[in-house]
Amino acid sequence: MTLPRPFELERPTTLDEAADLLRRMDGESALYAGGTELLILLKHRAIRPRSLIDLKRIDGLGDIRATDERLVIGATVTHRTLERAPDVGAGWPLVAGAIRHVANIRVRNAGTVGGNLAFADPHSDPATLFMAFDASVRLVAADGARTLSLGELAHAPYETARRPDEILAAVSLQRWPEGAVGAYLKFGLYERPTATVAVALFLDGTRSTVRDARIVVGSVGPRAVRLHVAERAVAGEPLGRLAPRLDEIAAAATRDLETMRDLHGAPDYKRELARVCVRRALAVATARARGEQADERHPHTIIV
Amino acid sequence: MRITRDIALSASPANVWPTLWDVARMVECVPGCVDATEIEPRRRYAARMTQQVGPIRVSIPLDIEVTEEKPGWCLVLKAKGRDALVATGVSVTVRLDLGPREAGSSLRLDAEWRVLGQVAALGHPIIQRRAEGMVDEFAARLERALGR
Amino acid sequence: MNAIRTRSSFDVRLIVNGQPWELHVPAHALLLDVLRDRLGLKGAKRSCDVQVCGACTVLVDGAPVSACTYLAVEADGRQVRTVEGLGDDGGLAPLQQAFIDGGAVQCGFCTPGMLMAATALLAEDPAPSREAIVQHLRGNICRCTGYSKIVDAVLACARQDSR
Repeated sequence: MTLPRPFELERPTTLDEAADLLRRMDGESALYAGGTELLILLKHRAIRPRSLIDLKRIDGLGDIRATDERLVIGATVTHRTLERAPDVGAGWPLVAGAIRHVANIRVRNAGTVGGNLAFADPHSDPATLFMAFDASVRLVAADGARTLSLGELAHAPYETARRPDEILAAVSLQRWPEGAVGAYLKFGLYERPTATVAVALFLDGTRSTVRDARIVVGSVGPRAVRLHVAERAVAGEPLGRLAPRLDEIAAAATRDLETMRDLHGAPDYKRELARVCVRRALAVATARARGEQADERHPHTIIV
Repeated sequence: MRITRDIALSASPANVWPTLWDVARMVECVPGCVDATEIEPRRRYAARMTQQVGPIRVSIPLDIEVTEEKPGWCLVLKAKGRDALVATGVSVTVRLDLGPREAGSSLRLDAEWRVLGQVAALGHPIIQRRAEGMVDEFAARLERALGR
Repeated sequence: MNAIRTRSSFDVRLIVNGQPWELHVPAHALLLDVLRDRLGLKGAKRSCDVQVCGACTVLVDGAPVSACTYLAVEADGRQVRTVEGLGDDGGLAPLQQAFIDGGAVQCGFCTPGMLMAATALLAEDPAPSREAIVQHLRGNICRCTGYSKIVDAVLACARQDSR
């Protein structure tokens, strides 16, 4: 269907201008970048903004900047741009590899990283993946700006800590320490993933022991979460001792995982699915840590 | 969909009942419910329910009817309405049973509700979570209202 | 604060299959509707309407987008390519011929989208592997063919081009 209601299209060129517009429009406007979610909400008449504030012409919002410590991704960077950016391929190869598989090629060309995080669909690759990089987001309003961790941003499906007068301007990912290995696993039969797992193992100097870890599961519950139980279980473990323990670690970590019933499945099914996916992702990451080829292939599963 | 909750209140049933029976006042304890007006005393009321679920904001004019009443201990309300702008309709039947407990009253709330239309497209689990949050908040506000 | 620069309709210049069009479009006009209803290019189809199926795929500056969920104003000043623009002088492009030769068309509804997505792939990667083709076409749904002949046709075209 065509878009049912006309709207005005504002095209600010600075973030200040956009934030000011947003404040003045007081709930009557919607922030617009790729439109991959917004235009669908408009088609379904779920929202009725009088105007759209196009963020794509704002200087700097479409930039990717890498430093020694972090990667700063502007909110209007498309998935496709992120996937192909040389700095990302060099410093955050897991991100480049995983973002290649978001939705489909058309959504990746139009959809933006900021839009994905701000919309907070619980079935999201970036929302899970970025948590393994201790991500934080910058929220900008007319009267000031603040920084939140990704965990603080996501509250519930389609609900974030972003206030109506704030613009999500950028997301920042930490650079992993030297010698870290990672894995990203997504399972699903649909456009949006049913289960997503991101694993980071930070190894010690000898590369024989896990110093610290990030283990994130998403898409099965209202928001992506770190599995601290699993992270504590692997921290300090020699790699050789880990392999036989993966079953038990994955089971313990997902036993009380909050899952959500929807068209992707029932809560118990999703908990079991999460258990299996966490185990598989850990298996791949630990194999890579040992310098081995991880050759896991499973139905409807993409492993990066 | 259904929510059942046992709400512990610190006032005795005799003190709780008048607040419940003041339907307009009780309805305003429901988060998002405003402008409660009496149309027919003890029988019909009107109110407006405004909620934001994710990106969708609904504002529903509610028609509320008291369908059953056992003075002092039971009240059944039916409420329904529709926000034509976002094509969302809601209908809910709430049964309130008031009984004594050691340190005050126990109010059993049994609500059967239906949401149809656009908001329902977000998925019932999301609405159920919101509805449960609303019941929790209702309980807290009712306790505060009784305290005055 | 300066006057708000707000517009509910825009003058845009779309270059569609190499031909420039000066149009005045409302802000809320979708590219698919402009292509089909104002320019008479019926190749791109409206199917799922939520950018999942790929039947509306067109190329904007070489990149596949879902025309059903893309504002026409976004294509201002850009090269838009539809299935009608694949061949030249009324003849078919090699990729189209490969689809015919390989029996990769049944009802034909998904075909324009498949062709546009595959065209974008071959422009970027003239010798893709089967796996690369499958990954690239993952967002284009076909109800008839079972996909294998479509993938075969793209492979055949790539191999032919490389000779």
